Parts: sequence; C-alpha cells; structure tokens
Amino acid sequence: MSKRVLVVDDSVFMRDIIKDIFAAGGFSVVGEAGNGVEAVEKYKELKPDLVTMDLVMPYRNGIDATREILRGDAKALVVMCSALGQETMVMEAIEAGAVDFIVKPPRAEDVLAVVKKVLGES
Amino acid sequence: MAAQWDTSRYLSLFVSEATEHLDALGKELVRLEGGVTPEAIDSLFRHAHSVKGMAGSMGYDPTTALAHSVEDLFERVRSAPARFDRAVADLVLQAVDALGGHVKAANERKPFPDNTALIAQLKELTQSLRPGTTPLPSAPPANAPLLETAGGPESELPPRWLVTLRVATHSAQPGVRGFLAYKRLASLGNLFRCTPSLDEVKAGRLPGGTFAVELESTEPEAAVAKTVSQVADVELVSLTRVASAPPPPAPEETKGTEPEPRVVGQEPPRTVRVRTELLDEFLDLAGELMLATAGVREVGRSLQEELRGRLNETTDRLHGLVRGLHDKVMKARMTPVSVITDRLPRAARDIARRRGREIELILSGSEVELDRAIVDELSDPVLHLLRNAIDHGVEPPEERRMRGKPPRGTVKLSVKRASDRVLLEVEDDGRGMDVERLKALAVERGLLTAEAARDLPEREALMLSTAPGLSTAASVTDISGRGVGMDAVKKAVEAVGGTLEITSRRGLGTTFRLSLPLTVAMVNLLLVGLGDDVYGLPIAKVAGVVETTRASLAHSRDVPVLQFGASVVPARELSAVLEVPGRPHDVAAVSPFVVVDTDDGRVALAVDALLGQEEVVLKALTRPLDQVPGLAGVTVLGNGRPVFILDVARLERPNRLPAVGEA
Repeated sequence: MSKRVLVVDDSVFMRDIIKDIFAAGGFSVVGEAGNGVEAVEKYKELKPDLVTMDLVMPYRNGIDATREILRGDAKALVVMCSALGQETMVMEAIEAGAVDFIVKPPRAEDVLAVVKKVLGES
Repeated sequence: MAAQWDTSRYLSLFVSEATEHLDALGKELVRLEGGVTPEAIDSLFRHAHSVKGMAGSMGYDPTTALAHSVEDLFERVRSAPARFDRAVADLVLQAVDALGGHVKAANERKPFPDNTALIAQLKELTQSLRPGTTPLPSAPPANAPLLETAGGPESELPPRWLVTLRVATHSAQPGVRGFLAYKRLASLGNLFRCTPSLDEVKAGRLPGGTFAVELESTEPEAAVAKTVSQVADVELVSLTRVASAPPPPAPEETKGTEPEPRVVGQEPPRTVRVRTELLDEFLDLAGELMLATAGVREVGRSLQEELRGRLNETTDRLHGLVRGLHDKVMKARMTPVSVITDRLPRAARDIARRRGREIELILSGSEVELDRAIVDELSDPVLHLLRNAIDHGVEPPEERRMRGKPPRGTVKLSVKRASDRVLLEVEDDGRGMDVERLKALAVERGLLTAEAARDLPEREALMLSTAPGLSTAASVTDISGRGVGMDAVKKAVEAVGGTLEITSRRGLGTTFRLSLPLTVAMVNLLLVGLGDDVYGLPIAKVAGVVETTRASLAHSRDVPVLQFGASVVPARELSAVLEVPGRPHDVAAVSPFVVVDTDDGRVALAVDALLGQEEVVLKALTRPLDQVPGLAGVTVLGNGRPVFILDVARLERPNRLPAVGEA
C-alpha cells in the first residue's frame, strides 16, 4: 500500500510541484493545506504517514503547526520545506520535532530520497 | 601537573563560575527542603561536581577535597532521597559557605581555610546514610590530590561511542543536515565533544564534510548505525567504542576545549560574559557619538543650501542610528532582579533560624530587569530590608499564636514594572511599626520638636525610621544591626534615583516600597542658561542647535517656526514653557534655539545661552518638587550648583506652550 502524504504549503504552485513528485514516486497525496491551522486540522482528520510542511505561512507558521501536530501525535513524521537562507528556521523546526527537511525548489530525487529515508524504506 | 601551566589567567573565570554554581547549590538546597526529587539531587550533584572539576583544574587541592566530600554525600543521597533532611541540608549549606570562602581566598590569592573537621563531618554523614551492607572505602587524606576515578560509578556508565559522520557534498544545506544528524543522535543518549563545535556544524563549516561526536548511550551499536542511516545525505564514516570518560554522569562537561558539549534541546540561550565596565565604556562612546553627530550638523550650517540639505539628511539618519545604538547598549546593561533575589531564600532561612522565627518567603517578579548598576547597588539594601522584616517585623511563633496569627510569618518580596519605573516591595505580616514610639524617639534625640512631632503625618513619621541612629528595636541584634541600617538603605535607593516609602499598620505588618528607575541615572546634559538660572536638557533628546534672531523666524499659522534641516519646527521660549519670568530680548539679537525631541514631536526652545555639556548623575526630585511637571530630576554640577533637568519628552503640552513672542 502506498504511503499517505499530507502536503502543506501556502502556494498552490508549490503544492502542485510537490504533489507531482509524490505521485511519480508512488506515494498517495491524501490531502493539502494552505496554512498552519488547516495543516493541524487536516492532520487530525487524515492521519497521514508523512507531512511536508512549509515554514512561512499565514495564520500559523510551519514550526508552530509542527509543534501542535506532534503534541497530538508524538510519532508524526513532519518534513520541513525550506528555502535557502531559512537554515535557522529549519533548525528551530528540527528542535520542535521535525524529522527532516527538503529544500525548495524541490528536486524529485532529493525529495523522494529524504522521504524514503524518513519512512525507513531505503 | 597543575604547576605545569599558568592557571592565573583562568582565575576570574573560575571565581565567577564557581560562585554561580555555589549560589545555585545554596538556592536549590533551600528549595529542596520543600520536597526532594531525584532530578533535584542530580542537579545538586552536578553543581558540586562542576566546582570540584574546576578546582581540580586550577590545582586547588583543599577545595577539590571539600567539593568531593559534598559530591559524595549527594551521590549517597541520590540512592536514598528520603534520607535528605535538615541535618543534611545544614551541613551542606555549611560546606557551600566554606567553598565560597575558598573561592574568595583563591580570588584574593590567600591561603585556603582549613576544613578538615567539616570534611570529616561530611564523610561521617555520608557513611551514616549508607545502606549498611558495604563498608566505606578508606577515605583519602583531606589534603591529598584526589583522583576522579573513585571506583564505583565507572561500571555504571553507559558505553561511549565515537561517531564520525560525513555530510554529502551536494547537500543543499549541509549545516542543517549535520544538525539534524546530531539531533537524531542526541535522542539516543548524551552527546559530548562535538568536533568541530556544534556551532560550526550548524554553520556548515565541516572540514571535508565530516564531523565527529561522542555519544554515551545504552542503545546497541546497530541502533546507532540505523539512526544515522535514516538521515538523508549523511553517511556514517565510523563508529568506535571509546573509553568512558570519568564521570560526569550528567550531560555536561567542564573539561576539554569544547565550547559546545551540551545536548541539543537543552541549550541555554547563547550568551557571552561582558565586564560591566566595558558596557559603561560602550555607553560613553555612544554618548560621544551622539555629540559628534551634533558637531557634524553644526559644521553643515556653513555649507551651501543644497549641500546642507543632503548632509542634514545623512546626519538625521546617523543621529537615529546612534540613538539606536545607545538604546541597545542600555538594553545590554539590563539585568534581572533575580541576581539579588536568588540568594534571599537562603538568607531568609538563616536569619529566621538564628532568630527563632518561622517564615515563608514569597518571591515574585524576579525576572523584571533593571540596569546593572542599579541592581548592584540594591543588593545590600534589599537584604537589609529582608533582615529587618524577619528580625523586627515578624514576631516569634508563640507571640504570633497569642495574637491569633499563624505561627509562620510571611515575607513577600515582589517586583513589578510600572511604566518607566520598577516597584520593589518588601512586605511582612509582623507587628508593624510603632509610630508614636518613633516620634517620641525623634523628639528625644532632638530631631523634632514635640509640636512638629504631633503634627507629623503618619507617612512622614514612618520615614523617621530611616533617620541615622533612630531605631525602635529594643536591642541591636547581630543580624539587623550589622552592615547597613535603614538610613543606608534610603541613601542607596536615592543614589540610584529611586524613592523609598513605608506603610505600616500596628499589629498587621509593614511594607517597604522602593520605586526605582529602569536605567542607570547617568545623563549627558546640554546646559542652557535662562536669565541667571541654568537648566539641563538631556543630550539624547537634543536634535541640534540653531543660532538665529527671533525676527528671522518664519511663521506658519501664526506660530513662529524655525528652519531646521529640511523641515521646520515650532519655536518656543523656554521661559514660557517653564512658566518662569523671561528677560526681555531684542528680536534682532542672535539667540540659541535648542531643537529637542518631545513625545509630541520636535520643538525649538529659545534660550539665553548655551553653557556646555556635562555628564551628570540624575537625582530624583523629592516632595514637593516631584509634583512640578516638566522636571525629570535634579543634579549638582561640578561647581556645586544645583541644576534642574527638564523632562524633555513631556515638555510640550499644548495648553502650556505659548509661542515665541507671546510670553
């Protein structure tokens, strides 16, 4: 059974790119969220195997959302999506419990390599 | 070994760090009397261990020996927390004091005090706490250097691994990758000796993409390898078992050259120690910069219109930046009041025990920050107020019972921010002050006439207790009577620009209220003359000075305005603003106009003369002068002349600002 992924990003464009990467890699994207608040709700509702989380989003940023998701489910696997120059924020997210990170613009092989490692599939 | 290298350059660091550990030790011990947890004992152990480690590195054998016996005692208590009682606390507190004496001696390069008896007591106590089965290993002689590996704990330490990792060169953010791997390892146990340091790793400065860290973990080798393999772009170069270091059992190391030996996730905010004097120098320099900026503006006045406009634009910006710098330096000097209050529970306990009182000390607001200089000055006065409250305020338990009070008295020390002041209150629920007796004493000592005493409002009568040599205490006790008295408290508070107020209800208690300025009371003043008087304007609020004639002022909606840089500012007579008589002036004569920044915007104040600049200590005004609006304080110049300092920020009140010419 393919692993279920929730994609969180405030940019539809970015979500589409990430969704396509996952589809090509044999994952099933079960949900999307455009901000941190939505992300937390969707996570509770869908219980995905993995979340990709943007850092800077309206209403609630990715770090806070990650914290909240992990508070509800300590085993949640959250992978941060960062841009160059956001190193400090990513490290903060890792402190908050994020398991790994991918760098924008996302390259299919990098994203899949990270996600497979995180899911213990490689 | 210790003689091989020069330890003296580490002395000040040793003194400050050891003192911190000892302070924490004392504080935590007192807190522990409320209930013992294994974590709390661990923490005590770590402090003792750190002091021992530092003393050992400095070659201070007697200190090491003493710290070692304290550490041993905690080691024992750790396995039997229920045995932690007052007797243990008392002895350890004694030892903490003794260690403090050692640190002081080291600092003053004096011989260490002899604590053979204390060490023997500690050992005896340690032995008595022993579960009984195993005999105590023969104690090493007190003055002999002690080896760390004291047998027992070594075998209980988890295995230690040297983990070497390589971050792939193509990794987009190698620093974050490295940090992620570090963090994952940290989830398995305790990390030590990250090479290069964790900061370097985070910054992505990895020689050849590799870094190494020691991991102390009970997890099997395979689990360590697996954890690393789960981090993308990170490769396990090697995983080798290394000898366990001598304890620390805690994830903390004081030895070695690693600046970053802590476990991630418990890192304190990054700080660096700076000498207070250095901050003073920064402040001075920031002040000088401000003056220099004003100087540049001054020079600009002789330039052509077009150039001057451009220069002024830049100087405005420069002025803003310098002021920003000044603010930041002021901020760096802010210190939490906890620096003073942290040691109070310990002091309260000692005083109460010695005086046969039972008290509960309630601290609140210790996180409030004040300028370092103020905090330093307040240390002794606050301690005295506490002594006072316990010694003279709170009654002995029997007396309290008779009065229908709970036998245990309460002393509250609260700190609050109130706009630009900090209020520090010491409140007790003791017997209160005897106002009549204070008055009688004041009359007896010739401080007051009987009539004056009769008419003296209570609030002022209470302040009599701060008069030198006046105390209602039946006897001077060894506690409250030593060091500073109430007069010294009042002096100290006023010296930093604060005020002291006392309220007291017979039989119910007394409150001392200190109102303190947030920041150090040094101000750079521009002195201006107005008639025969001199006033001070804080330089920080002065944007510039323009010399011109009143006749040449332009008008905007009937208000005279002064051209200042690229803008115009309303011009006022300072005499009118202050509501003091101004001398008549010739509108064709050149006068200085000081442009200041008020809360309502810029305003140019016409004065009679500029008298120069001076850095002064701001003194708070006392009644009734503190009621006068527009005054921030008073100072005394080098020549002994008192000068009022204007509260420039709040100067411009529309209803009291007649324009130039109206006055």
